[in-house]
Amino acid sequence: MLAIFQDIQARLNDTPHLMRLGRLFSETVLIEIDSEEFYLRFDRGRLVDVTPGPSRKTPWRFALRTDAEALHRFWCARPEPGFHDIFGLVKIGRGRIDGDILCLVKNLRFFKDVMALARHKEGVTA
Amino acid sequence: MSIEPITGRYLTVDVAGAPRRIYFEEAGQGQAVLCLHTAGADSRQWRHLMNDAEVTATHRLIAFDMPWHGKSLPPEGFETEEYLLTTEAYIETVLAVIDGLGLEKPVLAGCSMGGRIALQLAALHGDRFSGFIAIEASDFQAAWYDIDWFHRPDAHGGEMGAALVSANISPFAPDQERWNTLWMFMQSGPGVFRGDLSFYTQDKSLIDRLGQIKTDNTPVHLIVGAYDMTCTPEDARRTAAAIPGATLAVMDELGHFPMSEHPAGFRPFFVDALGRMPRARSQAA
Repeated sequence: MLAIFQDIQARLNDTPHLMRLGRLFSETVLIEIDSEEFYLRFDRGRLVDVTPGPSRKTPWRFALRTDAEALHRFWCARPEPGFHDIFGLVKIGRGRIDGDILCLVKNLRFFKDVMALARHKEGVTA
Repeated sequence: MSIEPITGRYLTVDVAGAPRRIYFEEAGQGQAVLCLHTAGADSRQWRHLMNDAEVTATHRLIAFDMPWHGKSLPPEGFETEEYLLTTEAYIETVLAVIDGLGLEKPVLAGCSMGGRIALQLAALHGDRFSGFIAIEASDFQAAWYDIDWFHRPDAHGGEMGAALVSANISPFAPDQERWNTLWMFMQSGPGVFRGDLSFYTQDKSLIDRLGQIKTDNTPVHLIVGAYDMTCTPEDARRTAAAIPGATLAVMDELGHFPMSEHPAGFRPFFVDALGRMPRARSQAA
């Protein structure tokens, strides 16, 4: 899973329009997958590091908590209903969002598009 | 170069004792079908069907922008008013447009909040219509978000609203139409999406009225997309089950804005719905 987030990091930092969308976003986001933690530290739209947890001393602004199977289905080229969006995961009971949700909503397109960077292209199953 | 067959004009009607200048578009001839847009958007959502020559060969499709939306201005004094759509004002507006355009028993097709009000009209003014196509429509939806997020001075409500409702668009939707659909939300005026959601997420009055809808002469057909996280197929099934005689179609590959997000995917479901509606007597001009 760490490799996937590192791939997201590389893709984001090579996607100018997304970095422009996130230019006011300098926060740390916690992604919790089953019991695994990953701290994503953003600085002005760049993902500067991905640090695996656990950590009790890393402050974060908001958290997305889900499970590995749900995330893999989220990253399918054509996800099933509910697995196609982070709020969809919440709606179907496969995800939870905690913390400063208003901060997330203000940067929602940016964060959704970042999370979707690992989505497989049509016809590619790897 | 191409010029579309859609024409747009303005109509002024009184709602709540004050004039509203309402923009409407139309195309086609035959059975009148009045089309209602979703919250936070406008009549452009219907443009694909209005440009569909086979549909407009036998149907006169009319779509209007609700006051505060699209090219319909808010009423005089809006600058000091908090926009909060109500069931009563929505019903009055739809009936005023029907009267203003001289429509005799149109079919009413509404999506999302437009579908909600279509069902309200089916319950309260069924005799004014030939039938109802209620798309992404349910008895009630509680908000799973805070509607106040979408009207605040430190952030762009339109951009946040678009990012939120993108959860309701199917991954089968062509990218161009996904973004055209979201653009309308991005353009929505300050507080308009919030004011629409106030109606959509807080007024429960339809629940007790569903059982009084008479479908013998005015059919009610619901259509819902599997990717709709706001009005889910389960919500639509519950709603249809409470209306004696109502029918329901589930679209496996569509979301909450089917006519706008995926026109080709929605078309057969809409054509099927039109086929379920009785043909009205001659339509007024």
